[in-house]
Amino acid sequence: MASLTLDKVRKAFGPVEVLKEINLSIDDGEFLVLVGPSGCGKSTLLNLIAGLETSTDGEIRIGDRVINDVHPKDRNIAMVFQSYALYPNMTVRKNITFGLEIRGVSNAERDKAVADVAKLLQIEPLLDRKPAQLSGGQRQRVAMGRALVRDPDIFLFDEPLSNLDAKLRVDMRTEIKKLHQRLGSTIVYVTHDQIEAMTLASRIAVMKGGILQQFDTPQNIYERPNNMFVAGFIGSPSMNFMDATLRDENGTLSVHIDREGSPISLPLFEAPESYRAYAGKKVVFGIRPEALTHKRSSSDSADSQYVNFDSKVEVIEPTGADTMTVIEIAGKEIVARVRPDRAPTPGESMTFSADMSQISLFDPDSELRI
Amino acid sequence: MADIQTYSQDAGWKNVVLRGLLYLVLILFAIYYLFPLIVMISTSLKSLDEIREGSLISLPRVITFDAWNYAWNEACVGVECTGIKIYFWNSVKMAVPAVLISTFLGAINGYALTKFRFKGANIVFALLLFGCFIPFQVVLLPMSQVLGKLGLASSTPGLVLVHVVYGLCFTTLFFRNYYVSIPDELVKAATIDGAGFFTIFWRIILPISTPIIVVSVIWQFTQIWNDFLFGASFASGANAPMTVALNNIVNTTTGVKQYNVDMAAALLTGLPTLLVYVLAGKYFVRGLTAGSVKG
Repeated sequence: MASLTLDKVRKAFGPVEVLKEINLSIDDGEFLVLVGPSGCGKSTLLNLIAGLETSTDGEIRIGDRVINDVHPKDRNIAMVFQSYALYPNMTVRKNITFGLEIRGVSNAERDKAVADVAKLLQIEPLLDRKPAQLSGGQRQRVAMGRALVRDPDIFLFDEPLSNLDAKLRVDMRTEIKKLHQRLGSTIVYVTHDQIEAMTLASRIAVMKGGILQQFDTPQNIYERPNNMFVAGFIGSPSMNFMDATLRDENGTLSVHIDREGSPISLPLFEAPESYRAYAGKKVVFGIRPEALTHKRSSSDSADSQYVNFDSKVEVIEPTGADTMTVIEIAGKEIVARVRPDRAPTPGESMTFSADMSQISLFDPDSELRI
Repeated sequence: MADIQTYSQDAGWKNVVLRGLLYLVLILFAIYYLFPLIVMISTSLKSLDEIREGSLISLPRVITFDAWNYAWNEACVGVECTGIKIYFWNSVKMAVPAVLISTFLGAINGYALTKFRFKGANIVFALLLFGCFIPFQVVLLPMSQVLGKLGLASSTPGLVLVHVVYGLCFTTLFFRNYYVSIPDELVKAATIDGAGFFTIFWRIILPISTPIIVVSVIWQFTQIWNDFLFGASFASGANAPMTVALNNIVNTTTGVKQYNVDMAAALLTGLPTLLVYVLAGKYFVRGLTAGSVKG
């Protein structure tokens, strides 16, 4: 187990730059999730750490050791692949011990290592089967077993759950989290699924277009996204964005949304200092669906600051726990999260409450958080 | 009801007629293709007298294997009357190493071209592919020069070399296309496990290559065994392969034309490839289509 540091890492394929100056650093035992849409460079970054590709520039360190020019087999890492990449001609036992065998570990030690890992992952009855005789979830376990048996410094996971069906994916997610808690190992995990990222990570690195957008704890990324991309990518349903103007009304800043007929004015009671500079300017107002609910009052929750406004309801989408209510404000579809017993019928008008303590404001040009 | 019945009866008759026509055509084609073989076999089992007296298509009255025995042990190839057997072994000594070496090299090439992609891999592959379209005749002269310089002219090893070089393009193509469908992650996983180029090849890639190895072996064996031009050009006299010897037996113009011996010799020459197809034919078809199914 060890810490991992990426220092100004760049990667270019010919003239195409796929990773631009990535700086990341995690401590021993952390669970780092690299998340982003396809083509954002997250898998390339993982391959750089694994040594399957070489970086164009920058330094990669495991612990204090610079590993840029170290062969993958000498980096003391283990990797779990999206397709599992089990050797089809070998039994599960052989698959798990192949790496040990290549490294010249004795027969007795190998047997013990397999037994331990098989017990941990509950795959003992499968040891003498071939990969073709296993189900998707079982293959996934074997692939993890192959990584675990080596007791590496860092585990690398490349979208390991994306080939499983929805239910199994959730189960395996929990299992990976449990495994991490039990072993305390350092893990780098690549996914395009923001829910996986939120649930698993101790820290998330959100990437887009080869650029690291934000690197922080899941809660911070959720509550204080650096820019509009991160705000929109993390969270489901995604954050609502509305064009607005920040107005200074007798010392109180308020978000003013131009709406035909009745403009909405949402006062900010505890505005951070950084908002002052944008007084009188255009901003993008971001609010998550759960901060936009049926009518509530501030007494419902001590920390919240509810502001009410009316809107006509376009569509409702019940999910059971909550009813997603789509309203239209200034030509944009906005999703509010309403308790089912308070759910309106489409077409009728209803009073909504916005929790102004949970909003984000962005600069409309740079799309950065204000 | 009645209408429907007559209608279905009509359709039934139509079906029977069409089916009958189909079988008729198929049987005709089968006869067309089988007839020469039947004539060859029946002629090879007749005595020379019977051939002279009877017609070409009549079946043998007395079955005799004399002609087969004669062709194998005594037939005259040129001035040597030692039978076709030494040439049969010449062909075996040529075909077996040439098939194995070209298949093995094709496997390594295909593996390197797909799983250890180096700069210019595509160009190398394109050039190799180009080699598949070079006609035999074009390489005859340069090849004979090369063989002369290597001191391999008119020898079985020389012929092996020629067939390996010529067959490499095809075997590489087979293996390359097969390995393209094997996920790269397999090699990556093995790399992280600590295995090198050849360890991965021997331990992981080769064991899952059986279908394409069968294809390559059948293809190469048929090509090399049946080859006449290279054999006639690069291995003369006592080192000639069976196809060349057969030609020399059949085309001898002195003495009585021994049709039964000619036929027996031709059948003996064709037998090994026939055997390979019978034994491994189903793997051949399976292997040819294996690339299209994701592994």
